[in-house]
Amino acid sequence: MRIPFNYLPLQFADPSAIVRDWEKLIATSEFTLGPAVDAFEEKFAAYVGMDHCIATNNGTDALILALKSLGVGDTDEVITVCNTFYATVGAIVACGATPVFVDCDKRYQMDVSKIEAAITTRTKVILPVHWAGASPDMDAVMHIASQHRIEVVEDACMGIGASLRGRSPGTFGRINAYSMHPLKSLNVMGDGGMVVTNDESLACWLRKYRNHGMVDRDHIEFWGVNMRLQPLQAIVASHGLDDLQPVLEKRNRNAARLDRGLTPLAPNVVLPLRPSGFMETQALYMGLFENRNQLLLHLQNHEIEAKVHYPLPLHLQPAARSLNYSVGTFPVAEWQASHLITLPVHQFVEAEQIDFMVETIGKFYQ
Amino acid sequence: MKIPYTNFSAKNSAIRHQLVSAFEQVMDSGRYIHGPEMFAFETEFASYCGARYATGVANGTCGLHLVLRAMDICAGDEVITAPNSFVASAASIALVGATPVFVDVADDLNIDPKNIEAAITPRTKAIIPVHLAGRPAKMGPINMIAKQHGLFVLEDAAQAVGAKYGGVRTGSLGDAASFSLHPLKNLHAFGDAGIVTTQKEALVNRLNMSKNHGLSSRDRCEFWTYNCRLDELQAALLRVQLRELDRWTDERRQLAFRYNQLLAPYLTVPEEASGEFHVYQTYVVQADQRNELQKYLVNHGVEVLVHYSTPIHMQPAASSLNYLPEDFPVTMHQSKRIMSLPLYPGLTHDQQDYIVELVAQFYK
Repeated sequence: MRIPFNYLPLQFADPSAIVRDWEKLIATSEFTLGPAVDAFEEKFAAYVGMDHCIATNNGTDALILALKSLGVGDTDEVITVCNTFYATVGAIVACGATPVFVDCDKRYQMDVSKIEAAITTRTKVILPVHWAGASPDMDAVMHIASQHRIEVVEDACMGIGASLRGRSPGTFGRINAYSMHPLKSLNVMGDGGMVVTNDESLACWLRKYRNHGMVDRDHIEFWGVNMRLQPLQAIVASHGLDDLQPVLEKRNRNAARLDRGLTPLAPNVVLPLRPSGFMETQALYMGLFENRNQLLLHLQNHEIEAKVHYPLPLHLQPAARSLNYSVGTFPVAEWQASHLITLPVHQFVEAEQIDFMVETIGKFYQ
Repeated sequence: MKIPYTNFSAKNSAIRHQLVSAFEQVMDSGRYIHGPEMFAFETEFASYCGARYATGVANGTCGLHLVLRAMDICAGDEVITAPNSFVASAASIALVGATPVFVDVADDLNIDPKNIEAAITPRTKAIIPVHLAGRPAKMGPINMIAKQHGLFVLEDAAQAVGAKYGGVRTGSLGDAASFSLHPLKNLHAFGDAGIVTTQKEALVNRLNMSKNHGLSSRDRCEFWTYNCRLDELQAALLRVQLRELDRWTDERRQLAFRYNQLLAPYLTVPEEASGEFHVYQTYVVQADQRNELQKYLVNHGVEVLVHYSTPIHMQPAASSLNYLPEDFPVTMHQSKRIMSLPLYPGLTHDQQDYIVELVAQFYK
């Protein structure tokens, strides 16, 4: 039974509604920001309950823009986790700042008990990541940040549609970033992202900075970048947002079924706690598995497209050489990196496929 | 008669079928980023330009920016460019922390090589000549100066895909070139897109990583960087358009020559010096009483733009560079006279005649 990781051909099997809107857009030639992007920004801001949404070319750009808007620069440090996607750190370094890592906890989220020890006089921002579509203890992060008068920027790239006691990821920090990469809960057919904030002055600056520093066509207020969301993708995103709720529900049902099936396999399989009051996006359904590499092969041999996010934590990547971290610095993330497997639980995975995965993994440990 | 500044429909309706099937193919593939369409477009585009390598990026600005970063140009360095371009030429220099150093242009609207040497200092690292409006900059003298001083030459070819200098296409005229494929360009995506060409293998290898999170494989990050990828949908559409580009360029040139003939009595029309092949991405004339003429044309339904009325050195963004208007007299003079008339495949002779007639009436 083949269980594909990539569900995009299924998701977009009937793109007629999108194509209809594309045709309208193409007739207007509004390919640089314009009404399609405006409409999506308004819709998404309302969805998460923030005043301003500024759509960007991708999630990395969104993180860069969020940090830049707070003035993060050369002499600053930004605290984040070592078990995230490369872009979190790419964005920090793009601003000239230094990433300072902390370890993660058993839920793969920022270990909030480690934050204070990482704070220095140069710390400008704490950048928690809603890793895999679950969330760190944001109340604790916010509390620490306010005590130390440090800004918070959330990397909510995987968190669209999740909720923390009724509140969306990306609504805690002053300005926060999302991604709409094809394998995110809300996705486009290319790259896309956005930042949200309630701070009007940041939003106003960002709208200009994202678009060459332009006030209008003939008036360039400051040196800016081109990090605009494509209108074609804004249309895809807008339709996606309409359809998001059932997608999340199905993913969570799949995850729950997989949880039930895999829990008895402890201690060979360890699943993260799922505290009540949190709804995850299940962007990545991850567990910790004994004998991971063999199991991965076993799954692949059974056409279960499992993945690893990721086998090498960021502090041990070649890119991190100059930061001088060593093996053993972040034991939890390092241990997880050698045990993690991500299983497909997307909205096109059916109950029998879940059961097949459970059975296949069960047999492996027999 | 209403004549818009640009009109995609004429040229796109002719290839609508191919565009739609390109769309569908990508959509059905489920591969939307970093896939076969981008790789194929890179190969085809490099070959079109006569360059060894090409790498697709998210837009022309990131093309310039990533090349400068890849060349380790940073704070303390200077990069020479023209002040009459779109802001991205200078902004990309400022983005890496370096200082844009402007040099005045010549009658061809492009950087004047004879002004370059005076602007070179020990801190100068590169020259970014802009092929403005689709006319190639004087790359012979520019490359010679660059060679003498050991400077990197990055063509800002955002407006000049297909243009030639001495029979060589843009994209192969310097050490590297950045193209914008924005919808207003001769070869365009249906949104933002760009591509960089180069002859240097080490540079393209670096760019292939620096546009994609620094990844040398899915699990190995060599350096922290950006995400500036060309997506599959746009790459597929660009591949369809690239096949039509020479035909479109030819049509643009025929229309430009016709304009030149008809408008020469009233306006300074764009020339093509020997050895140059102008692609007329923008048909820029120079006019006395430009603002009045622009208003007159607009009032008669002809959409006319100015690229650009405020030179970069006079923008608020450049205030810290402390330039004065008179630092670049040719640029300043031209900025009061330049005007871009509608020119695109599908523009009819009737429409051209209508515009010419209005111009003639205005100066009567």
